[in-house]
Amino acid sequence: MPLYEVEKSTIVLDIGTAYTKFGFTGEPVPRSIFRTQVKSKGQLRSLLDYQDSQDLYDMLVDFFHDIYFKYALNSPKDKPIVIVESLLCPIIFRESVAKVLFKHYGISSLLLLSSHLVSLATLAVETALVLDVGYKEAVCIPICYGLPMINAWQSLDLGSCSIHRNLQSLLYEKNSGAESLSEWILEDIKVRCCFVTKRSRAEQLSLSKPELGPCPEVKYPVEGNSILRVTGTIREKAYEILFDEDNDHLCLPTMILDALMKVNVDLRNQLAENILLIGGTTMAMGFKSRLKEELLHHMKEERYRKLNIKCFKFHASPSKENYTAWLGGAIYGATDWLNTKALTKDEYFEDNRLPDWSDLKYNTRRP
Amino acid sequence: MELQDSYYDKSDYVETASGNKVCRRTVLCGSQNIILQGKVIVQAEAIIRGDLANVRTGRYCIISKEAVIRPPYKKFSKGVAFFPLNMGDHVYIGEKSVVSAAVIGNYVYIGKNCVIGRRCELKDCCVIEDNTILSPETVVPPFSRFGGSPGTQIGTLPEVQADIMVDYTRSYYQHFQPNKIIL
Amino acid sequence: MSAGFLDIDCVKYACTCGLLKTLQQLYFCRYCSELRCTFCVSHEVDSHFCGKCCENLPSAEARVKKNRCVNCFICPSCRQELSTRAASKQPANPEESKATKRTYYLSCLCCRWSSRDIGLPDQTAATGSWPKRESIHSNRIQEIVSMYKGLQEKEKLDKEFFKKKQKEKIISYTDKTGITAAALRKRIGLPEDKPILKPKNAVKIVTPSKADENIDDFDEEVLTKSINLLEITSIDQRLLQPDVQPKEISNIFPIQKILSIKRSLRCRRCEHNVSKPEYNPNSIKFKIQLFAYYHIPEVRIVTVEPLRAGQACELILKFTNPTQHQTTVSFLPFDSPIEVKEAIPEEGAISQEDSLEELDKSSLTPSKKKSSSGTKLMSLVDTHITLTTSRSSARALSPRSIAESINCTVDIPSSTFILPPRDDAAEYDDFNEVHNIQDDKKLVVWRKSNKAYIKLVVTPNEDMPIDTTVTTGFTMSHLYTNTIASVADNKKPQKFNHNMRVILKLGKSVGLN
Repeated sequence: MPLYEVEKSTIVLDIGTAYTKFGFTGEPVPRSIFRTQVKSKGQLRSLLDYQDSQDLYDMLVDFFHDIYFKYALNSPKDKPIVIVESLLCPIIFRESVAKVLFKHYGISSLLLLSSHLVSLATLAVETALVLDVGYKEAVCIPICYGLPMINAWQSLDLGSCSIHRNLQSLLYEKNSGAESLSEWILEDIKVRCCFVTKRSRAEQLSLSKPELGPCPEVKYPVEGNSILRVTGTIREKAYEILFDEDNDHLCLPTMILDALMKVNVDLRNQLAENILLIGGTTMAMGFKSRLKEELLHHMKEERYRKLNIKCFKFHASPSKENYTAWLGGAIYGATDWLNTKALTKDEYFEDNRLPDWSDLKYNTRRP
Repeated sequence: MELQDSYYDKSDYVETASGNKVCRRTVLCGSQNIILQGKVIVQAEAIIRGDLANVRTGRYCIISKEAVIRPPYKKFSKGVAFFPLNMGDHVYIGEKSVVSAAVIGNYVYIGKNCVIGRRCELKDCCVIEDNTILSPETVVPPFSRFGGSPGTQIGTLPEVQADIMVDYTRSYYQHFQPNKIIL
Repeated sequence: MSAGFLDIDCVKYACTCGLLKTLQQLYFCRYCSELRCTFCVSHEVDSHFCGKCCENLPSAEARVKKNRCVNCFICPSCRQELSTRAASKQPANPEESKATKRTYYLSCLCCRWSSRDIGLPDQTAATGSWPKRESIHSNRIQEIVSMYKGLQEKEKLDKEFFKKKQKEKIISYTDKTGITAAALRKRIGLPEDKPILKPKNAVKIVTPSKADENIDDFDEEVLTKSINLLEITSIDQRLLQPDVQPKEISNIFPIQKILSIKRSLRCRRCEHNVSKPEYNPNSIKFKIQLFAYYHIPEVRIVTVEPLRAGQACELILKFTNPTQHQTTVSFLPFDSPIEVKEAIPEEGAISQEDSLEELDKSSLTPSKKKSSSGTKLMSLVDTHITLTTSRSSARALSPRSIAESINCTVDIPSSTFILPPRDDAAEYDDFNEVHNIQDDKKLVVWRKSNKAYIKLVVTPNEDMPIDTTVTTGFTMSHLYTNTIASVADNKKPQKFNHNMRVILKLGKSVGLN
């Protein structure tokens, strides 16, 4: 890359609940992916469990300090920044981010991008159904010709967090002392041992006496002094929470189908044939094939009879799923949007607020 | 908090003309290879392995009880060679720490029970927290605070760290007084 | 945190922004004459360097190298630094050459990982020749980026074209003659510059990604083959290499070490530097060092009597004057108003007029005059005007209230005491110098050169339960001699009282005897 182009590159951030993806515009890979944590009041805390806005403000100051002086090695003053956020980002969080960046760090402009929308840029397509399975929640939004169909969005509290809880209770049945396992150990067990099994096996496993041989057991050492037995059943069942219907008969596959039900009939087939999965949880082995299996299975149900969809097709973005949204931001940030669509310092200080799609003040057409 | 006076048994310590205070109950191997620059305190049961290679300290260094100063070695195809260990001014080495660094800069603080692996380089103004294990050949840059096992950077230090260390080692030396003989 | 004396923070000073910090963590802006801390100054990257080889890199070069050191690597397995090891390889046939060939490999001295573990061939040069991995998708992404760039460029040009068309109906010279700038350039021999001249430049549309029905991300082997945890990477190891995120330990790759920075700090209000380090990574010297430790008297707790609820007890503090000028210290009640020379408005930058108005007000309000005489305030106004003009776009932070509750009262002594200037020679002076300072014997217990022990009486609150941390505080007022204005205006050094709040944690309360 020529020198002058490097000069212009801007920080792109995707602040996830568990991991933050950090890099520069126009680059194909984030520079680093690290936990969304801040050392505050003498301990490591997740950025997202703040007590009040003051607490969040202080944590964000420290968080961006790390970003700028540990990773970007760049002075923040009078420089733009691109942040990829979810449409469902809490208002207090985005307002605090803007306040910290504009007031404390004096950035020149802030470009906020919706994670679902920009993910499509990595594929160079305009219409797709985007399912983001992250840490806290799974959010499904169909995007048609570059417009998010907000009326059709679906969200469920399914993600790494619920998998970890499920894994913990499964481990607890077999091992004493598993209740005190830290989030990071659970994550490590999940990543290294567990996988998403096939539907046929899952059905068997849910029976009281499954008629199949379990997969091999793993002995997982914890802190060098004890060994956890991660049985074959646990390895297969950890992810099942995503596909088990809850009391409202909702689960990950039904989210996609429900979203499809809510969009125009003409778009349904097109969306079903353009599904994009993003978020770290979708990287689990067997996740995609299982999701497809489940989708086809649920199609047989009465409630989805109307859909009349024959096949589901999945996109593969030129990235790992956990940073697809970041990559979208990096692509958008490399274009002229950074100058034309970003919120500038002066605009922000006019009323000290961020424009928000859910606020009618910003969502009406101005003459 | 102002430092309190700490007392030592006068018969137990040797005080040199340059103000070094060295306990008699220390192990100083190869003492001809050990140079203490002045106003250095070497406390009881500390070990300095001057027999392996030269050990040189700066002024106002404090080597606490049971600390081990051991020049680093390097393996060659033909065998092992030891290298001298140089220490700057105003260095504090905590109790029971084992130090095999190649260079220790000025104004360095090493806590208790640390292991400084062989051929580490501790630059000026750095702090190694208690119970840190630095793996061999680690470089600790100025104004950084290392901790953990293996030791990693866990923080930064204030810019006035040099003055803090000067003040600390000086007042430590001043408050390190012989027992007042009660008649 | 456990590094002995360094973490003792029983004496804290309230920064102008309201945060409590130890004196060592504070800065003192001589131009504003106010305390600053890391939270309320703006940080700037001063220089880049590698923490291992301690080599300085110019910032442009650092950017090109993606903020990573070319020569130093960290272990992909445990994140410790890798060391370069030399191996001497005997040539295949001894007759060929007598000298043994030296080759190098990387090895981790912490976890024993080495570049040979992943089959990376040894290098002939110690530094600079290690292979790099490129993202396999980079070409595709570059194409997509340029497509979107092109599309937006086109959209912009189309818009401009449309605007132009509407605005001016005058036929330009080129339109008339058909001689375009491009033709002219060609004739002169300049290269054509396409994007400006051809508004209809064709954007290369990238083939959109094709969705696939067949997914094969399930490996049947996992059901039967037992796994070895040592061969599978942890999530941290995967995320160290975001582009590959290897699942197997055999796929990890040495990682270039991220550079570190030295940073300079700048006062938000007057834009003057309060700290600027030297470029040399090994140097611990500063070009600009406005640290509070060099300007503000240091307070230390020497002894305190056992603290009992409701009972007065004696507290001895040690005061040290770090400056070259004599100072007078006096005590004020903790919540006495501190004269902030300029009330910082809640939001955003303040225009100059505003701040001057504020200033007028503050000098008129009697309550704010309490601690300082009128003439002194006038001189402050002077310096301040020069400062406000120099301020450009500083956005001051709104101060917050001090987050610490006081549960112990201090009897504020009415008398003041003097601290002589610091004298480095006194260090070597063994005699107690004779000083003719008239001291209030009740207040000053002992003094030597620039230090003094001060006795105060504190009373913990009546209703305090046993074993609570006793916190007390007072406002310290000291005569500060500012030499910075004298250099600028050829005036005498200005002297004024500088006030700040000091909070002391005295320890736990004990029961009645």
